[in-house]
Amino acid sequence: MATAWRDTINRRYRQWVDWRLPASRHTRLNNRRLFVFPTRAGFAYIGLLVVLWLVATNYENNLVFAATALLGSLLVIAIFHTFLNLSGVTVEAGRSFPGFCGGHAEIEITLSQTSKRHRESISLAYASSDSVTVSLPGSERTSATLAVEATHRGWLDPGRVTIATVYPLGLIRAWTILDIKTSALVYPRPIRAEAQLQSVTAPGEDSRAAMPGREDFRSLDKYQRGEPLTHIAWKHFARERGLYTKHYSDPVDERVWLDWDAFPGLATEARLSALCEWLLRLQGERIEYGLRLPGVEITPAKGDSHRDRILKALALYDTPAVVRSQP
Amino acid sequence: MTQPQWQTPRAAIIWMQLSVAASLALHAGHLPAWLIAAALTVMAWQICVYRGVIAHPSTWHKVLLTSACLGGVLVTYDSLIGLEPMVAILISGFALKLLEIHRRRDALLLIYLAYFVVVVQCLFTQGITTAALMVASVCVITTALIAVYQQGERAHGWLALRKSTLMLAQAVPLMLVLFIIIPRLGPLWVVPQQASAASIGVSDSMTPGDFTDLSATPKVAFRVSFDGDMPAQASLYWRGLVLSKFDGRTWSQLGPWGYRTGNLLQWYGDRAEPWDSLAERRGQPLEYTVTLEPSNGSWLFALATPRPASPGIALTRDFRLYTRSPVVTEKQYRAQSWLDYKIEPERLPPWRRSIELRLPEGFNPKTREVAARWREETPDPEALVQRLLDYYRRDFVYTLKPPLLGKHTVDEFLWQTRRGFCEFFAGSFVFFMRAAGVPARVVVGYQGGERHPEGDYMLVHQYDAHAWAEVWLAGRGWVRVDPTAAVAPARIESSFADYFSAEEGFLDGSPLALERFRHIGWINSLRLQLDELEYAWAKWVLGYDSNQMTLLSRILGRVDPMRMGMLLLFAGSLALLPVGWMLLRSRQRPVRDDIDRCFLEFCRRMARLGLGRRIGEGPRDYAARIANQKPELAPEIWALVNLYERQRYATAGENNLALRQALRRIPRR
Repeated sequence: MATAWRDTINRRYRQWVDWRLPASRHTRLNNRRLFVFPTRAGFAYIGLLVVLWLVATNYENNLVFAATALLGSLLVIAIFHTFLNLSGVTVEAGRSFPGFCGGHAEIEITLSQTSKRHRESISLAYASSDSVTVSLPGSERTSATLAVEATHRGWLDPGRVTIATVYPLGLIRAWTILDIKTSALVYPRPIRAEAQLQSVTAPGEDSRAAMPGREDFRSLDKYQRGEPLTHIAWKHFARERGLYTKHYSDPVDERVWLDWDAFPGLATEARLSALCEWLLRLQGERIEYGLRLPGVEITPAKGDSHRDRILKALALYDTPAVVRSQP
Repeated sequence: MTQPQWQTPRAAIIWMQLSVAASLALHAGHLPAWLIAAALTVMAWQICVYRGVIAHPSTWHKVLLTSACLGGVLVTYDSLIGLEPMVAILISGFALKLLEIHRRRDALLLIYLAYFVVVVQCLFTQGITTAALMVASVCVITTALIAVYQQGERAHGWLALRKSTLMLAQAVPLMLVLFIIIPRLGPLWVVPQQASAASIGVSDSMTPGDFTDLSATPKVAFRVSFDGDMPAQASLYWRGLVLSKFDGRTWSQLGPWGYRTGNLLQWYGDRAEPWDSLAERRGQPLEYTVTLEPSNGSWLFALATPRPASPGIALTRDFRLYTRSPVVTEKQYRAQSWLDYKIEPERLPPWRRSIELRLPEGFNPKTREVAARWREETPDPEALVQRLLDYYRRDFVYTLKPPLLGKHTVDEFLWQTRRGFCEFFAGSFVFFMRAAGVPARVVVGYQGGERHPEGDYMLVHQYDAHAWAEVWLAGRGWVRVDPTAAVAPARIESSFADYFSAEEGFLDGSPLALERFRHIGWINSLRLQLDELEYAWAKWVLGYDSNQMTLLSRILGRVDPMRMGMLLLFAGSLALLPVGWMLLRSRQRPVRDDIDRCFLEFCRRMARLGLGRRIGEGPRDYAARIANQKPELAPEIWALVNLYERQRYATAGENNLALRQALRRIPRR
């Protein structure tokens, strides 16, 4: 009964928050989006004021009255200052960095402002992250990266981010809870499992397939913008024959398929975890690897972007379609 | 959400140290020296710990220190209950807290305690300077509080100070409103008072030499504002205490025993006690407000015969004014006085009569003998009084430097030295009268006062302290007799300071007192101006509770909770208005310069033609699009956009005139 009530209240609260603070990747904080309430320290301060008032009353001391009135007014002024420490700040969703399940995924949030006010000690936190405190100098932008607990594979919705400040006196807290429409990719948790990985060498194909690399010289081609300067054939250039880059290739010993069928008897998540672990193990060795999942096939290759492609495929295998737009 | 390990910001440490130092300095007046030394040691210790010179104190250290402080307070004050020991414990506790700031909560506890300690200081002294120091200390403590919430590496002590000063300044208007409107309820329960320190000014006993000491202090005893005109100087006898007991050297108060009818105290607002009618009051009373400086006694001063006119004040059985708790801080009260009066004119009960005639055995044999002889020669008490006054008038000297007296003080003064100050005259007069069988008693208080030329009030200084006598005459009751007036009439009619300003010994104790330079015009007017300020402070700030109702009913007409609430709401928001405006003003959009204004106006005009600028569209693309759609405007548009780009992005120093001219050529619709 009690839990049912609590659930109802929680649902109603979430509905109210969704109505009050609709999700947006770009929000300017103002009086419609900020809440203000005394902190625990603020209530302690109110207690101090009550004690001082009792002293003033019992001793009939007008100077203590005046001091109590001054400290009381300070509390009221603190409401303005704390509110204005957040009001006018623009909150934007930044990049997000994937993580492994059981670890942390990171979400970047950018605060910026056009006004010249110096904002001090603004803390940002998700329900499942440590809080990060930043300050925001006048007319600038600053960003905070929050490490969110990666609880399940796939797209992770971190929920609403709490942006709060108690500056300057710690007596009043101004805060907002924003849905900045961001999500982070969570890869399967790497778990070691034995497998027979198929080593492939297609007939008529040299196992030392040409992969762009740095080890063996392969050819000399016309320079393309963005190629590393260290690969430019400076001797050619000095002889005024134009700008050329030397191309090399890494020797590849083997090509391997990370295959769904290599782990008979494992459940889906366990299989994905095992594949993920194998991928991480192959990474950094002179091996080209590809991925075969039911309905997905990525041909063997090497490199960071290739690895990320495979990890993403593992992360999103058999998950509901993308719920949130991904930057 | 978990909070990361808290590191006390450096600026916060410094400002907390300063807060402790400020509260120590404010309380230095009444704290024992060892406690100040201990607190300073703890402060130095904390700095060493912070800089890593020595380790954090162990639990044993802290237990030892705490118990040492408690023991020290117990030894110093004999008790842990009472205002001073409580403040001493508070201060030692919060200075020791410096040694264990591990979490933000510890820092907050220290800071809140500092606020309390600093404000409680007002229970000891309430001058303008103390108040200013208190505000400065509150500013330091608030700075510490801000510094606690600043971010570690960017924390900047001066930034915090600027912020706290700004916030306190913004808090002032609301503070004034709260101070004026918040109702004063009066004490809710009995609280420990400051242990009665030695009384300042007139005390409850009189020994030869006491008043000569007072003549050396220029301090103000109290100030009086009369509702009507000020009465004549010679009638200003501020009655404080009645001394009926004599032990051969010292006159003191009699215990309040023996009276059988009704209560001994008649509080303001209470039903009249049966003995109240023993005083016949005739004519219109004088009404006045007295602002008493701390005297550490519970006796108040009023002209005879008084009646209290403010709450918390009582009339005593011997028709003086009295307050329940000793006056340790400035106190303001109102009183009525009937200068035309008779006290107990009909009959003095035999037991009272015997008390007012009692003399110790074995003192002043010669005076007793002479008194008995004179009584036989002059049986009428009134004539006897005159005869003694005539004797004084003949060859007595009123002086600030009287010779010292031995065992038989009255004998030696009356028949040998004949040089004395007011207490010599009053004491010897009462002794003589009692020896002659006329009930008499000593009254101490102040006589006269200095009229403030502009302030419309009267200053009574400590050197105005005076002692005189009252004799009981059948049919007239207690009659005031001032033997000093017989010797030195000018002392009573002008003022003490005028009378003695030339004599050696006046204000001996304070060689630099401004009163010493009364004859120098500008110093005197400076002194009086300073006093006016101090009086205004005492009257409007320290004594505000007695004026509050008058002021509020003048604003509201009728004072009730509803109207008070409305007033608080209205005045409070009025007080916050400038602050709100000041703070919110900076939220306005950044002001665009002339160049942007021209371009935006161009965009608006184009929008009216249905060619609004798209989001993210650069000026050049925009111009191209319009030129495409409205070829007839193309030259003007390109001229304007080219100028705009050149002005905006080139370093060109061209003026904006060309741009504005280009804008003029664009049609308005």
